[in-house]
Amino acid sequence: MNVLYVLVPLALGLALVGVAAFRWAVRDGQFDDVDTPALRVLLDDEPTGRRDASASPSTSRS
Amino acid sequence: MTATASPPVREVATEAPCVHCGLPVGSRPAWSGAGEACCCIGCAVVRDALAEAGLDGTYDRLRAVAPSARPAGRPQAPEALALAELDRPGFVEAARPLPGGLREIDLYVDGVHCAACVWLVERLPYEVEGVRDARLDLARARLTVAFDPAARLSEAAEWLARFGYAVRPSRPEAGTASDAERRLLVRAGVAWALAGNVMLVAFALYSGLERGGLATAARWFSLALAVPAVGYGAAPFFRRAWASLQLAWRARDLRRLHLDTPISLGIAVGFGQSAWATVTGRGDVWFDSITVLIAALLTARWLQLRSRRLATEASDRLLAIVPRIARRVSDAGRIEVVEVDALRLGDLVEVPAGEVLPVDGVVETGASRIDRAALTGEARPEPVAEGGLVEAGTTNLSAPLRLCVRAVGEATRVGRLLAWVEKGEVRRAPVVLWADRVGGHFVLGVLVLAALTAALWAWLDPAQLPAHLTALLVITCPCALGMATPLALAVAQGRAARAGIFVKSDEAVQRLIEVGAVVLDKTGTLTEGRMELAAWTGDEAALDLAATLDALATHPVADALVRARGVGPGRVTDVEAVAGHGIRGRVEGVAVLVGRPGWVTVEAAPLPAEWRSALASWADAGHTPVAVAVDGHPAAAFAVGDRIRAEAADLVGRLRAEGVEVHLLSGDHPTTVASVARTLGIARARGGVSPEAKREAVAALQAEGRAVLMVGDGVNDAAALRQADVGAAVGGGTTAALVAADLFLTRRGLAPRRDALDGADAAMRTVRRLLALSLGYNVVGAAAAVAGLVTPLVAAAAMPVSSLAVVGLALLQPSFASGSSGSTAPHDS
Repeated sequence: MNVLYVLVPLALGLALVGVAAFRWAVRDGQFDDVDTPALRVLLDDEPTGRRDASASPSTSRS
Repeated sequence: MTATASPPVREVATEAPCVHCGLPVGSRPAWSGAGEACCCIGCAVVRDALAEAGLDGTYDRLRAVAPSARPAGRPQAPEALALAELDRPGFVEAARPLPGGLREIDLYVDGVHCAACVWLVERLPYEVEGVRDARLDLARARLTVAFDPAARLSEAAEWLARFGYAVRPSRPEAGTASDAERRLLVRAGVAWALAGNVMLVAFALYSGLERGGLATAARWFSLALAVPAVGYGAAPFFRRAWASLQLAWRARDLRRLHLDTPISLGIAVGFGQSAWATVTGRGDVWFDSITVLIAALLTARWLQLRSRRLATEASDRLLAIVPRIARRVSDAGRIEVVEVDALRLGDLVEVPAGEVLPVDGVVETGASRIDRAALTGEARPEPVAEGGLVEAGTTNLSAPLRLCVRAVGEATRVGRLLAWVEKGEVRRAPVVLWADRVGGHFVLGVLVLAALTAALWAWLDPAQLPAHLTALLVITCPCALGMATPLALAVAQGRAARAGIFVKSDEAVQRLIEVGAVVLDKTGTLTEGRMELAAWTGDEAALDLAATLDALATHPVADALVRARGVGPGRVTDVEAVAGHGIRGRVEGVAVLVGRPGWVTVEAAPLPAEWRSALASWADAGHTPVAVAVDGHPAAAFAVGDRIRAEAADLVGRLRAEGVEVHLLSGDHPTTVASVARTLGIARARGGVSPEAKREAVAALQAEGRAVLMVGDGVNDAAALRQADVGAAVGGGTTAALVAADLFLTRRGLAPRRDALDGADAAMRTVRRLLALSLGYNVVGAAAAVAGLVTPLVAAAAMPVSSLAVVGLALLQPSFASGSSGSTAPHDS
């Protein structure tokens, strides 16, 4: 049963990581609009334009 | 609406579904390469792209993802002043700075309504220099753009306008999810994480971990996790409970206590008893029940807050119809672009044709026609001359005007109407208030029961008293009761939003089922809301010649003809517009005359006798008849008017069958209103009603004891919408997603209105079922607790079961189901 002394803090630590990630996602505005991304994935295309998409910064912060 | 007996009548099928997204194509469809009608160029482009790539199967998938419906976009000329505002240095500076010297701004985009629009609008960075990123929030029509401050945003707006999307700056403070909402979501997330871990440990305790060091460690571990859950997660409940306690104390009235009080009491007692049991090592712990309860309640609150925000944003878009900058004429006669706030009374402002007036004022120089549809609902443009009063929010149609400023901003007529609308608080549903009031009695009941239990067990077995008392208080904690109504209503509102029906207040859902009278405004609700070619007779070629000539005129009648027929290739010369009569000119050398029948008779020759019945029936239907003469001979006649929507008669009949009175209250010309009412069989109709009188008329109906559903589409209806028990605003075209009503319908047409009534019915049935369920649970739970049957294990099982039952029923409710709302199939069959 001694393994519990490792596993329980480990579980807590994982939960903490999860909460931190969730908090970051909420602050980042990822839950502000939950409808459009679902449509975006249907249509997103390899950019054929002149600019590289990876150069675009994220605009979700506000 | 048009005489069926008249010669060939060309109708434009506006209700046919777009091949790409399924929304009505409107009166000016865009065409795909294969010649199919689409609602907007975005759809046509994507349709072609998909067909080319052999990806037609996409449509099966798109049908499943019901797009948030929006009114069809029409290609529009970008408004010069709005473009100027986008490039103003102050505007760019107000944008949020991003790392790397970029700026970010939110814009409203009118006319986006499906996945294709998302794709098209988000191609901005690849098409316009200086735009780095574009993200569209479809449900709210909000575009977030990251751009280089050196670039001109107006180029982006012009590019979007080519596809029929009109761009409007949003007020900087409005829109993004409020901090309160985000904080609540984080709170709920933390609460769930804590609850999950406490449950994990609780399972160990239930499955036999009774004694020993490990059990003690598990209890302390649960306590450690429960402390933040109660201290941080449940803090809002304690705050509100404390406020209600103070209120009840001051009023000396226990019924003032609302539902947060028993919730807080349950949490506090459960936590206190469990903490004591942990410290002393004797008794039961309830940490799992408490933490799950907190998390579930927080989630319900968050859902509620979120659905409310989506609805209130509609009113922000309404404010965006009045421009925020104006062209001021300085003393030296120069024109400078200034912010509206900088204008003073008596300043001179110039408004070119085609722009929206930024201020209330008196015409100083110039004569033009203005479109007051947004303000008064009058669809026919009205002439204005020097000395005439004009209002902000109306559109100058034909010639430049100079105005002497009379009122700015909040002081304008539109500003005052909006202020009245905004004043109305978010009202809570009576059933929610009832649940809150029940909370008061609930506390009393629980306290009485607690006393009874204490007395009973003091007599039976004093040693077990604390355990059973706690069990009672925890199990009667009205988790389900507190969650049932808000959750059911929030879910119903979420569903409704997907179907293009935004519900602002819970109250509206409940009031909808009590509606006894429906008041409709004519413009845009029963009709298309703008001038269209309704019917024609005579020579088709003459009609095309007339359209070619009319392309040079700025009259709305001419616009309607040009929209319907397109502009021919002929060269137009010798154009002369005769005010009040018509226009004459030469197309490829042929003399063409377009104007009032009387004028054409005088200028050319009398009209053929066989047209007489058609002309008379058009006039009867409230349409404007126009004659065309080619080479001095009458060749064709056509009628222009605001056409009645196809499904209007059906809805009116259905409502009457359900015993709901239908009224028509319009700012339009009385003759037009009378003819529409006659066509649809509406007995009670009044035309020429001012916005203020509309509100009084609604109040008069309410005085008769009827709950009134007011349906309207403009600023002119705003006051009446707010006065009504339920106000439903209809968004349409560029007049934007309108008005702070209780309901906000993004889809045009009348079908959404019936969906709203049906959906509300189903939602309220769900609410009642949930209330019965949760009250039943609490009664049974209380009885079991008094009898001493509730152990922490029973509570741990009963609590989630009741909560899950409530959540499950709320989620599975049949209200606003996509089948009945038909968001993919706008036809109301």
